[in-house]
Amino acid sequence: MPDNKELTEQESLQLITEMIQKAKSSFHESGTSAILWGTVVAIAGLTNFAERYWHFDIGFNIWFIVLAAFIPQMIISIREGKNRKVISYEESSMNGIWLVYGISIFALNFYMNVIPGASDRLLASEGQELLLRDLKTGLSQHYVPSVMSAYSLLLLLYAMPTLATGIARKFKPMIFGGILCYVFFIVSCFTSSTYDLLLNGIAGLTCWLIPGLFLRDRYLKGKHC
Amino acid sequence: MFTELDPILHSQLRLAVMSLLIAVKEAEFTFIREKTNASAGNLSVQVQKLKEVGYIEVAKQFKDNYPQTTCKITPKGIDAFEAYVKALQEYLHAGKGT
Repeated sequence: MPDNKELTEQESLQLITEMIQKAKSSFHESGTSAILWGTVVAIAGLTNFAERYWHFDIGFNIWFIVLAAFIPQMIISIREGKNRKVISYEESSMNGIWLVYGISIFALNFYMNVIPGASDRLLASEGQELLLRDLKTGLSQHYVPSVMSAYSLLLLLYAMPTLATGIARKFKPMIFGGILCYVFFIVSCFTSSTYDLLLNGIAGLTCWLIPGLFLRDRYLKGKHC
Repeated sequence: MFTELDPILHSQLRLAVMSLLIAVKEAEFTFIREKTNASAGNLSVQVQKLKEVGYIEVAKQFKDNYPQTTCKITPKGIDAFEAYVKALQEYLHAGKGT
């Protein structure tokens, strides 16, 4: 492409359109990650279903393969990153969304493992326990509750769009708000629902009100320029 | 009265580079060369000119022991590109009107 060619207005516009189209047609997802996770989750889910339905045991928790799949995923990500010659805005935003999804899946696993024990301890600290009574025999036994912290899940939901938006828009107050919300989520797994409500309130301030005030300030400054 | 077309952008290769960079977050020098079919020497000179006026940022680093040059449009570059397209539209509308 020569540089000194005199362009007409029409040719300039044509060149701009052509180049934007060329840039857009360069983005192709390899699909490797989708294939990896689709296979792993399908194998784990179907095997676990088969174990329960046909009453057999393969001897280990099949869902561990999901954790193991993070190793090939890291290799795929590094390899794809090395071969990448261009980064699109869309790709950058998508990376933010999938990163948040990954953190949230870990957080949810943490929740499922921690909540029963934490709830049991909280009840015990208040001098209470849950009992499960067999209606046939009349016998009662200690029951460990599985879900007692619905407000923690709300905090997890608050964190997801906040951090994803912060990463996509490179907006630090929202990145900070989102990370803080994940911290609140972890804390809330060990606190009673009263304090979970307090954390929910603070999350509202850090996730949206404070970033919103920054945005408002920026908007007003832009309006007066 | 027409807005004067930005002479930095009103050049085939520089306009091609800016049009590519406006559509992406960042791109390697080799990608730009591939899409514009320009020679490395010529492209290098034009990229340098765009960098000097502050329309693009150029980052040089090493990747697997090979030098890698990455280009990215700046907010000033985005403004200049938008103004250029607006000026082009003025010219084209005026052409249609006559």
